[in-house]
Amino acid sequence: MAKSYLRFWGVRGSYAAPFPTHLKVGGNTSCVEVNVDDHVLICDAGTGIIPLGNRLVAEAKNKELLILLTHYHWDHICGLPFFVPAFIPDWNINFFGPGESIQEMKQKLDSQMQAPYFPVGTETWMAKINYVNPRETKLSVGPIDISYYSVHHPGVTYGYKIKAANKTIIYVSDNECQFLDKSIKQKMTEFSEEEQQMFEDMNREEYEYELKTIHGADILIHDAQYTPEDYETKRGWGHSCYVDVVNYAIDAKVKELYLYHHDPYNDDDAIDKIYEKCQLIIQERGAPLVCKVAREGLEIDLD
Amino acid sequence: MSDSKQTVVVVDDNATVRALFERSTENLKLDLISFGSAEAAMEYLGENKPDLLFLDIIMPDKDGLTFLSELRRLPLHRDTAVIMITSKDYAQDRTVANELGALEFITKPMPMRAISDIITNYINKENPYN
Repeated sequence: MAKSYLRFWGVRGSYAAPFPTHLKVGGNTSCVEVNVDDHVLICDAGTGIIPLGNRLVAEAKNKELLILLTHYHWDHICGLPFFVPAFIPDWNINFFGPGESIQEMKQKLDSQMQAPYFPVGTETWMAKINYVNPRETKLSVGPIDISYYSVHHPGVTYGYKIKAANKTIIYVSDNECQFLDKSIKQKMTEFSEEEQQMFEDMNREEYEYELKTIHGADILIHDAQYTPEDYETKRGWGHSCYVDVVNYAIDAKVKELYLYHHDPYNDDDAIDKIYEKCQLIIQERGAPLVCKVAREGLEIDLD
Repeated sequence: MSDSKQTVVVVDDNATVRALFERSTENLKLDLISFGSAEAAMEYLGENKPDLLFLDIIMPDKDGLTFLSELRRLPLHRDTAVIMITSKDYAQDRTVANELGALEFITKPMPMRAISDIITNYINKENPYN
Protein backbone atom coordinates (compact mmCIF):
# COMPACT_ATOMS: atom_id res chain seq x y z
CA MET A 1 0.00 0.00 0.00
CA ALA A 2 1.25 3.49 -0.82
CA LYS A 3 2.12 5.83 2.02
CA SER A 4 0.09 8.75 3.32
CA TYR A 5 1.73 12.13 3.71
CA LEU A 6 1.33 15.89 3.61
CA ARG A 7 3.93 17.90 1.72
CA PHE A 8 4.54 21.64 1.56
CA TRP A 9 5.22 22.81 -2.02
CA GLY A 10 4.82 26.54 -1.40
CA VAL A 11 4.84 28.36 1.94
CA ARG A 12 5.09 32.07 1.06
CA GLY A 13 2.33 34.62 1.20
CA SER A 14 1.81 37.60 -1.11
CA TYR A 15 4.43 36.90 -3.81
CA ALA A 16 7.12 34.38 -4.68
CA ALA A 17 10.47 35.04 -3.00
CA PRO A 18 13.17 33.02 -4.79
CA PHE A 19 16.00 34.90 -3.07
CA PRO A 20 19.22 33.24 -1.84
CA THR A 21 18.46 34.48 1.68
CA HIS A 22 15.04 32.78 1.67
CA LEU A 23 15.71 29.32 0.29
CA LYS A 24 15.95 27.37 3.55
CA VAL A 25 12.25 28.13 4.08
CA GLY A 26 11.44 28.39 0.38
CA GLY A 27 10.20 30.97 -2.08
CA ASN A 28 7.08 29.50 -3.72
CA THR A 29 3.60 30.71 -2.79
CA SER A 30 0.86 28.65 -1.15
CA CYS A 31 0.47 25.01 -2.10
CA VAL A 32 0.12 21.88 0.05
CA GLU A 33 -0.33 18.31 -1.13
CA VAL A 34 -2.24 15.77 0.94
CA ASN A 35 -1.66 12.28 -0.45
CA VAL A 36 -3.39 9.19 0.91
CA ASP A 37 -2.69 5.95 -0.94
CA ASP A 38 -2.05 7.99 -4.12
CA HIS A 39 -5.31 9.92 -3.82
CA VAL A 40 -4.21 13.52 -4.29
CA LEU A 41 -5.69 16.59 -2.67
CA ILE A 42 -4.08 19.95 -3.39
CA CYS A 43 -4.65 22.97 -1.17
CA ASP A 44 -4.19 26.20 -3.13
CA ALA A 45 -2.52 26.80 -6.46
CA GLY A 46 0.26 29.28 -5.82
CA THR A 47 3.60 28.87 -7.57
CA GLY A 48 4.23 25.75 -5.45
CA ILE A 49 1.75 23.87 -7.62
CA ILE A 50 4.14 24.13 -10.59
CA PRO A 51 6.81 21.70 -9.28
CA LEU A 52 4.02 19.55 -7.80
CA GLY A 53 2.41 19.31 -11.24
CA ASN A 54 5.73 18.32 -12.80
CA ARG A 55 6.17 15.55 -10.23
CA LEU A 56 2.60 14.27 -10.71
CA VAL A 57 3.13 14.03 -14.47
CA ALA A 58 6.48 12.29 -14.02
CA GLU A 59 4.92 9.70 -11.68
CA ALA A 60 1.53 9.44 -13.46
CA LYS A 61 0.11 7.30 -10.65
CA ASN A 62 -3.34 8.85 -10.26
CA LYS A 63 -4.61 11.30 -12.87
CA GLU A 64 -7.63 12.46 -10.85
CA LEU A 65 -7.00 15.48 -8.61
CA LEU A 66 -9.01 17.78 -6.36
CA ILE A 67 -7.70 21.32 -5.99
CA LEU A 68 -9.14 23.35 -3.12
CA LEU A 69 -8.81 27.12 -3.35
CA THR A 70 -9.07 29.15 -0.17
CA HIS A 71 -9.77 32.28 -2.25
CA TYR A 72 -8.72 33.89 -5.51
CA HIS A 73 -5.93 36.28 -4.56
CA TRP A 74 -3.00 35.97 -6.94
CA ASP A 75 -0.63 34.19 -4.60
CA HIS A 76 -3.14 31.32 -4.38
CA ILE A 77 -3.93 30.84 -8.09
CA CYS A 78 -0.90 32.14 -10.00
CA GLY A 79 0.63 28.68 -10.47
CA LEU A 80 -2.33 27.39 -12.49
CA PRO A 81 -1.26 28.79 -15.89
CA PHE A 82 1.89 26.65 -15.54
CA PHE A 83 0.30 23.54 -14.01
CA VAL A 84 1.24 20.89 -16.57
CA PRO A 85 -1.46 18.25 -15.78
CA ALA A 86 -4.11 20.77 -16.89
CA PHE A 87 -2.64 20.70 -20.41
CA ILE A 88 -2.68 16.88 -20.79
CA PRO A 89 -5.84 15.19 -22.14
CA ASP A 90 -6.18 12.18 -19.87
CA TRP A 91 -6.05 14.06 -16.57
CA ASN A 92 -9.19 14.85 -14.52
CA ILE A 93 -8.90 18.01 -12.48
CA ASN A 94 -11.60 19.08 -10.03
CA PHE A 95 -11.69 22.57 -8.58
CA PHE A 96 -13.50 23.77 -5.50
CA GLY A 97 -13.49 27.24 -3.98
CA PRO A 98 -15.69 30.07 -2.73
CA GLY A 99 -18.43 31.32 -4.99
CA GLU A 100 -22.12 31.40 -5.53
CA SER A 101 -22.07 29.33 -8.73
CA ILE A 102 -19.86 27.18 -10.93
CA GLN A 103 -19.86 29.99 -13.51
CA GLU A 104 -18.54 32.47 -10.97
CA MET A 105 -15.74 30.13 -9.89
CA LYS A 106 -14.79 29.39 -13.51
CA GLN A 107 -14.82 33.07 -14.42
CA LYS A 108 -12.44 33.86 -11.58
CA LEU A 109 -9.93 31.26 -12.73
CA ASP A 110 -10.37 32.11 -16.42
CA SER A 111 -9.73 35.79 -15.92
CA GLN A 112 -6.08 35.51 -14.85
CA MET A 113 -5.29 33.73 -18.14
CA GLN A 114 -7.08 36.20 -20.39
CA ALA A 115 -5.37 38.76 -22.61
CA PRO A 116 -3.48 40.92 -21.90
CA TYR A 117 -2.41 39.06 -18.75
CA PHE A 118 -1.46 35.72 -20.31
CA PRO A 119 -0.82 34.43 -23.86
CA VAL A 120 -3.23 31.47 -23.76
CA GLY A 121 -6.55 31.00 -21.98
CA THR A 122 -8.06 28.12 -20.03
CA GLU A 123 -9.60 26.88 -23.29
CA THR A 124 -6.13 25.46 -23.99
CA TRP A 125 -6.42 23.18 -20.96
CA MET A 126 -6.72 19.69 -22.46
CA ALA A 127 -7.51 17.88 -19.21
CA LYS A 128 -11.09 17.22 -18.20
CA ILE A 129 -11.83 20.18 -15.94
CA ASN A 130 -14.67 19.97 -13.46
CA TYR A 131 -15.81 22.75 -11.16
CA VAL A 132 -17.45 21.29 -8.06
CA ASN A 133 -20.69 23.07 -7.19
CA PRO A 134 -19.70 25.65 -4.56
CA ARG A 135 -22.93 24.89 -2.69
CA GLU A 136 -21.63 21.41 -1.81
CA THR A 137 -20.94 21.33 1.92
CA LYS A 138 -18.97 18.08 2.07
CA LEU A 139 -16.28 17.00 -0.36
CA SER A 140 -14.10 13.96 -0.74
CA VAL A 141 -11.31 12.52 -2.81
CA GLY A 142 -10.77 8.81 -2.26
CA PRO A 143 -10.61 8.27 1.50
CA ILE A 144 -10.01 11.99 2.23
CA ASP A 145 -13.03 13.93 3.55
CA ILE A 146 -13.19 17.72 3.49
CA SER A 147 -15.41 20.40 4.97
CA TYR A 148 -14.87 24.16 5.05
CA TYR A 149 -15.75 27.37 6.85
CA SER A 150 -15.35 31.11 6.36
CA VAL A 151 -12.32 32.87 7.82
CA HIS A 152 -11.28 36.46 8.45
CA HIS A 153 -9.65 37.71 5.24
CA PRO A 154 -10.72 40.20 2.56
CA GLY A 155 -13.42 38.70 0.31
CA VAL A 156 -14.99 35.30 0.86
CA THR A 157 -12.15 33.05 2.04
CA TYR A 158 -12.31 29.49 3.32
CA GLY A 159 -10.43 27.42 5.86
CA TYR A 160 -10.50 23.69 5.16
CA LYS A 161 -10.90 20.83 7.62
CA ILE A 162 -9.42 17.67 6.12
CA LYS A 163 -9.80 14.17 7.52
CA ALA A 164 -7.05 12.01 6.09
CA ALA A 165 -5.52 8.77 7.38
CA ASN A 166 -7.22 9.18 10.77
CA LYS A 167 -5.73 12.65 11.18
CA THR A 168 -7.56 15.98 11.32
CA ILE A 169 -5.72 18.62 9.32
CA ILE A 170 -6.84 22.25 9.33
CA TYR A 171 -5.59 24.37 6.44
CA VAL A 172 -6.01 28.11 6.99
CA SER A 173 -3.63 29.92 4.67
CA ASP A 174 -5.01 33.43 5.20
CA ASN A 175 -6.79 34.53 8.37
CA GLU A 176 -6.55 37.55 10.62
CA CYS A 177 -6.79 36.16 14.16
CA GLN A 178 -8.32 38.19 16.97
CA PHE A 179 -9.51 41.04 14.72
CA LEU A 180 -12.75 41.62 16.66
CA ASP A 181 -10.90 41.52 19.99
CA LYS A 182 -8.60 44.30 18.82
CA SER A 183 -11.48 46.34 17.35
CA ILE A 184 -13.30 46.19 20.69
CA LYS A 185 -10.19 47.13 22.71
CA GLN A 186 -9.51 50.10 20.41
CA LYS A 187 -13.00 51.56 20.97
CA MET A 188 -13.81 50.38 24.49
CA THR A 189 -13.77 53.83 26.10
CA GLU A 190 -16.44 55.04 23.66
CA PHE A 191 -19.05 52.63 25.04
CA SER A 192 -21.40 52.55 28.03
CA GLU A 193 -20.82 49.97 30.77
CA GLU A 194 -23.70 47.88 29.45
CA GLU A 195 -22.27 47.95 25.94
CA GLN A 196 -18.79 47.09 27.21
CA GLN A 197 -20.20 43.99 28.93
CA MET A 198 -22.13 42.99 25.80
CA PHE A 199 -19.08 43.42 23.57
CA GLU A 200 -16.95 41.34 25.92
CA ASP A 201 -19.61 38.61 25.75
CA MET A 202 -19.80 38.97 21.96
CA ASN A 203 -16.02 38.64 21.69
CA ARG A 204 -15.88 35.62 24.02
CA GLU A 205 -18.61 33.90 22.04
CA GLU A 206 -16.81 34.61 18.77
CA TYR A 207 -13.50 33.26 20.09
CA GLU A 208 -15.17 30.14 21.53
CA TYR A 209 -16.67 29.43 18.11
CA GLU A 210 -13.24 29.85 16.49
CA LEU A 211 -11.65 27.50 19.04
CA LYS A 212 -14.36 24.91 18.53
CA THR A 213 -13.72 24.96 14.77
CA ILE A 214 -10.10 23.80 15.14
CA HIS A 215 -10.29 22.09 18.55
CA GLY A 216 -7.93 19.16 19.00
CA ALA A 217 -6.69 19.18 15.41
CA ASP A 218 -3.68 16.94 14.78
CA ILE A 219 -2.19 19.42 12.33
CA LEU A 220 -2.97 23.13 12.00
CA ILE A 221 -1.42 24.94 9.04
CA HIS A 222 -2.04 28.61 9.73
CA ASP A 223 -1.17 32.06 8.42
CA ALA A 224 1.58 33.56 10.63
CA GLN A 225 2.73 36.28 8.27
CA TYR A 226 3.41 39.15 10.65
CA THR A 227 5.58 40.02 13.60
CA PRO A 228 3.98 42.25 16.27
CA GLU A 229 5.87 45.19 14.71
CA ASP A 230 4.53 44.39 11.21
CA TYR A 231 1.02 44.02 12.57
CA GLU A 232 1.01 47.52 14.02
CA THR A 233 1.10 48.95 10.49
CA LYS A 234 -0.71 46.13 8.67
CA ARG A 235 -3.76 45.53 10.84
CA GLY A 236 -6.70 45.05 8.49
CA TRP A 237 -4.64 43.43 5.72
CA GLY A 238 -6.14 40.02 6.52
CA HIS A 239 -3.13 38.23 8.04
CA SER A 240 -2.16 37.11 11.51
CA CYS A 241 0.60 37.98 13.90
CA TYR A 242 2.40 34.81 15.00
CA VAL A 243 1.80 35.65 18.69
CA ASP A 244 -1.97 35.43 18.18
CA VAL A 245 -1.66 32.24 16.15
CA VAL A 246 0.41 30.39 18.74
CA ASN A 247 -1.96 31.41 21.52
CA TYR A 248 -4.95 30.42 19.37
CA ALA A 249 -3.43 26.96 18.72
CA ILE A 250 -2.64 26.48 22.43
CA ASP A 251 -6.14 27.54 23.48
CA ALA A 252 -7.67 25.13 20.96
CA LYS A 253 -5.48 22.24 22.17
CA VAL A 254 -4.04 21.70 18.69
CA LYS A 255 -1.31 19.05 18.61
CA GLU A 256 1.00 20.42 15.89
CA LEU A 257 1.07 23.96 14.48
CA TYR A 258 2.84 24.80 11.22
CA LEU A 259 3.59 28.50 10.79
CA TYR A 260 2.62 29.24 7.17
CA HIS A 261 2.15 31.97 4.56
CA HIS A 262 5.45 33.59 5.46
CA ASP A 263 5.96 37.21 4.57
CA PRO A 264 8.31 37.44 1.55
CA TYR A 265 10.03 40.30 3.36
CA ASN A 266 11.20 37.84 6.05
CA ASP A 267 14.38 35.93 5.17
CA ASP A 268 15.45 32.63 6.75
CA ASP A 269 17.05 34.36 9.74
CA ALA A 270 13.93 36.42 10.43
CA ILE A 271 11.77 33.29 10.31
CA ASP A 272 14.21 31.50 12.67
CA LYS A 273 13.65 34.35 15.14
CA ILE A 274 9.86 34.06 14.78
CA TYR A 275 10.18 30.33 15.47
CA GLU A 276 12.28 30.95 18.61
CA LYS A 277 9.75 33.46 19.92
CA CYS A 278 6.93 30.98 19.33
CA GLN A 279 8.82 28.38 21.38
CA LEU A 280 9.16 30.92 24.22
CA ILE A 281 5.39 31.55 24.23
CA ILE A 282 4.74 27.80 24.35
CA GLN A 283 7.24 27.36 27.22
CA GLU A 284 5.82 30.30 29.16
CA ARG A 285 2.34 28.85 28.89
CA GLY A 286 3.55 25.34 29.70
CA ALA A 287 1.64 24.01 26.70
CA PRO A 288 2.23 20.67 24.96
CA LEU A 289 1.85 22.28 21.50
CA VAL A 290 4.45 21.29 18.91
CA CYS A 291 5.20 24.28 16.67
CA LYS A 292 7.21 24.11 13.45
CA VAL A 293 7.99 26.35 10.50
CA ALA A 294 6.32 25.19 7.29
CA ARG A 295 9.12 25.04 4.76
CA GLU A 296 9.19 23.99 1.14
CA GLY A 297 9.78 20.26 0.76
CA LEU A 298 8.84 19.42 4.35
CA GLU A 299 6.88 16.18 4.39
CA ILE A 300 4.70 15.01 7.29
CA ASP A 301 4.04 11.31 7.59
CA LEU A 302 0.29 10.73 8.08
CA ASP A 303 0.51 6.95 8.65
CA MET B 1 -47.72 54.16 5.41
CA SER B 2 -49.90 51.54 7.11
CA ASP B 3 -50.38 51.18 10.88
CA SER B 4 -48.96 47.65 10.92
CA LYS B 5 -45.53 47.22 12.52
CA GLN B 6 -42.59 46.99 10.20
CA THR B 7 -40.36 43.95 10.29
CA VAL B 8 -36.63 43.95 10.88
CA VAL B 9 -34.71 40.69 10.51
CA VAL B 10 -31.25 40.04 12.02
CA VAL B 11 -29.15 37.11 10.82
CA ASP B 12 -26.09 36.50 13.01
CA ASP B 13 -24.76 33.31 14.60
CA ASN B 14 -23.54 35.31 17.62
CA ALA B 15 -26.29 35.25 20.28
CA THR B 16 -24.90 38.38 21.97
CA VAL B 17 -25.28 40.35 18.73
CA ARG B 18 -28.88 39.22 18.49
CA ALA B 19 -29.43 40.27 22.12
CA LEU B 20 -27.80 43.63 21.33
CA PHE B 21 -30.38 44.21 18.60
CA GLU B 22 -33.22 43.25 20.98
CA ARG B 23 -31.93 45.76 23.53
CA SER B 24 -31.31 48.49 20.94
CA THR B 25 -34.81 48.28 19.49
CA GLU B 26 -36.95 47.76 22.60
CA ASN B 27 -38.33 51.29 22.37
CA LEU B 28 -39.02 51.12 18.64
CA LYS B 29 -42.39 49.95 17.35
CA LEU B 30 -41.34 47.12 15.10
CA ASP B 31 -41.21 43.37 14.90
CA LEU B 32 -37.65 42.13 15.34
CA ILE B 33 -37.05 38.59 14.13
CA SER B 34 -33.65 37.00 14.72
CA PHE B 35 -31.97 33.98 13.16
CA GLY B 36 -28.80 32.26 14.36
CA SER B 37 -28.09 30.48 11.10
CA ALA B 38 -28.14 31.30 7.41
CA GLU B 39 -30.19 28.19 6.66
CA ALA B 40 -33.01 29.11 9.07
CA ALA B 41 -33.01 32.68 7.78
CA MET B 42 -33.20 31.57 4.15
CA GLU B 43 -36.15 29.33 4.94
CA TYR B 44 -38.02 32.32 6.43
CA LEU B 45 -36.98 34.68 3.65
CA GLY B 46 -38.20 32.23 1.04
CA GLU B 47 -41.72 33.43 1.82
CA ASN B 48 -41.29 36.69 3.72
CA LYS B 49 -39.93 40.10 2.79
CA PRO B 50 -38.79 42.14 5.81
CA ASP B 51 -38.63 45.92 5.70
CA LEU B 52 -34.97 45.78 6.71
CA LEU B 53 -32.51 42.91 6.89
CA PHE B 54 -29.25 42.93 8.91
CA LEU B 55 -26.81 40.30 7.76
CA ASP B 56 -23.57 39.01 9.32
CA ILE B 57 -20.76 37.84 7.03
CA ILE B 58 -18.82 35.10 8.84
CA MET B 59 -21.37 32.47 9.83
CA PRO B 60 -20.78 28.74 10.35
CA ASP B 61 -23.12 27.50 7.65
CA LYS B 62 -22.69 30.20 4.97
CA ASP B 63 -20.89 33.49 4.55
CA GLY B 64 -23.19 36.49 4.38
CA LEU B 65 -21.96 37.75 0.99
CA THR B 66 -22.77 34.43 -0.69
CA PHE B 67 -26.08 34.45 1.19
CA LEU B 68 -26.89 37.92 -0.14
CA SER B 69 -25.95 36.92 -3.67
CA GLU B 70 -28.34 33.96 -3.47
CA LEU B 71 -31.03 36.13 -1.92
CA ARG B 72 -30.87 38.64 -4.76
CA ARG B 73 -31.69 35.86 -7.24
CA LEU B 74 -35.11 35.52 -5.61
CA PRO B 75 -37.58 37.92 -7.28
CA LEU B 76 -39.03 38.71 -3.83
CA HIS B 77 -35.70 40.10 -2.62
CA ARG B 78 -34.29 42.00 -5.59
CA ASP B 79 -34.88 45.24 -3.70
CA THR B 80 -35.00 44.10 -0.07
CA ALA B 81 -33.18 46.65 2.11
CA VAL B 82 -30.04 44.95 3.45
CA ILE B 83 -27.36 46.20 5.85
CA MET B 84 -24.22 44.18 6.54
CA ILE B 85 -23.04 43.85 10.17
CA THR B 86 -19.62 42.29 10.47
CA SER B 87 -16.27 42.20 12.22
CA LYS B 88 -14.65 42.07 8.74
CA ASP B 89 -13.53 45.61 8.05
CA TYR B 90 -12.08 45.13 4.57
CA ALA B 91 -12.51 47.23 1.43
CA GLN B 92 -12.97 44.11 -0.73
CA ASP B 93 -15.97 43.00 1.35
CA ARG B 94 -17.44 46.51 1.26
CA THR B 95 -17.14 46.54 -2.54
CA VAL B 96 -18.84 43.16 -2.94
CA ALA B 97 -21.61 44.14 -0.50
CA ASN B 98 -22.13 47.38 -2.39
CA GLU B 99 -22.31 45.53 -5.73
CA LEU B 100 -24.97 43.27 -4.21
CA GLY B 101 -27.02 46.28 -3.22
CA ALA B 102 -26.31 46.44 0.52
CA LEU B 103 -27.25 49.89 1.80
CA GLU B 104 -24.65 50.09 4.54
CA PHE B 105 -21.69 48.15 5.91
CA ILE B 106 -21.46 48.39 9.69
CA THR B 107 -18.48 46.99 11.56
CA LYS B 108 -18.61 45.40 15.00
CA PRO B 109 -18.61 46.55 17.73
CA MET B 110 -21.49 48.91 17.01
CA PRO B 111 -23.10 50.93 19.84
CA MET B 112 -26.81 50.50 20.55
CA ARG B 113 -27.57 54.08 19.56
CA ALA B 114 -26.06 53.49 16.12
CA ILE B 115 -28.29 50.45 15.64
CA SER B 116 -31.50 52.24 16.65
CA ASP B 117 -30.59 55.31 14.56
CA ILE B 118 -29.91 53.33 11.41
CA ILE B 119 -33.15 51.34 11.81
CA THR B 120 -35.15 54.53 12.36
CA ASN B 121 -33.52 56.09 9.33
CA TYR B 122 -34.27 53.28 6.89
CA ILE B 123 -37.51 51.94 8.29
CA ASN B 124 -39.24 55.26 7.70
CA LYS B 125 -38.23 55.45 4.07
CA GLU B 126 -40.79 54.24 1.56
CA ASN B 127 -38.04 52.87 -0.64
CA PRO B 128 -34.48 53.16 0.67
CA TYR B 129 -33.09 52.58 -2.82
CA ASN B 130 -34.61 55.83 -4.08
